[in-house]
Amino acid sequence: MPEHTSHTAGTLIGLTVDRVVEDSNTDTRILVLSRIDGGTELFTVWVGAAEGESIRRALDTSVTPRPMSHDLIKSFGEHFGVKTERVVLTDVKSSTYFATVYLESNGVTRTIDARPSDAIALALRCQAPIYVTQDVWKRRSGQNLDAWLSKLDTKNIGTQEV
Amino acid sequence: MITQMQVKGLMFDPYNNAYIVILRDEDQSEMLPIWVGKSEASSISLALESVAPPRPMTHDFMKAYLDAINAKVISVVITDLNENTYYAKIHLTYEDSEYTVDSRPSDAIALALRSQAPIFANESVIRKQTSEELDQWLENLKPEDFGKLDS
Repeated sequence: MPEHTSHTAGTLIGLTVDRVVEDSNTDTRILVLSRIDGGTELFTVWVGAAEGESIRRALDTSVTPRPMSHDLIKSFGEHFGVKTERVVLTDVKSSTYFATVYLESNGVTRTIDARPSDAIALALRCQAPIYVTQDVWKRRSGQNLDAWLSKLDTKNIGTQEV
Repeated sequence: MITQMQVKGLMFDPYNNAYIVILRDEDQSEMLPIWVGKSEASSISLALESVAPPRPMTHDFMKAYLDAINAKVISVVITDLNENTYYAKIHLTYEDSEYTVDSRPSDAIALALRSQAPIFANESVIRKQTSEELDQWLENLKPEDFGKLDS
């Protein structure tokens, strides 16, 4: 985990987006994150289709002809000289994850409440690190998710091409 | 020349499986339809109905981002239409300076509605739109397509 200046550094786990899994039956995507410290357990978050596709485009570094919503937020930051410093998954309530986006400009840090999908879509575009608190990591949903995800992947390979 | 526009509503376009945001000018003489994706339409609809979702949606987050750094949306302008690609500009102030940021009209409109900022359109865009796309689209509509709007 890279060092940073927050006083909560010791309690945060660095994450990287592993992949975006399609769920062909619903309007959602499953965001699969893994630990950057090499731990094999995964962290999954259900996100909307539009947000999931936005994250997928950021992973592929594919460029759309026109700026999409998260590209526009990044563009605001570039115009104003505001840096997206990091995003942290801070809480989970009734299976809903909460994220905080840290912005920095002229030495002042400001925070914004966000859904993990928006926070991560922006972080990937700004090369900002993604963290989860130890507490949220311990309370993450889904046991045996590896097995479940691999089953889902196989199923999707069969159905996506129709 | 630019004309101030109001968002009059949203329609579903069954041919393109997309939504149309209908903009009208104040004396209701000009209409500008803008084709947008499903999630953008949903975001514009929530703003029109002043519905606050339990968690901030993408444009609520965009507004929160600007609020957090004390940036303000002054206006948005639908500027151009080229081969079915739409262009808009968002005018903002941040730390006593003015900025103009390139965007899609859907993002510009969704943000303007949340910022109580006026929406303008270049007259060239209004003319191009009404003469080409809408006429063609309306001509191709069949009576049964209207039923789908209510289903």
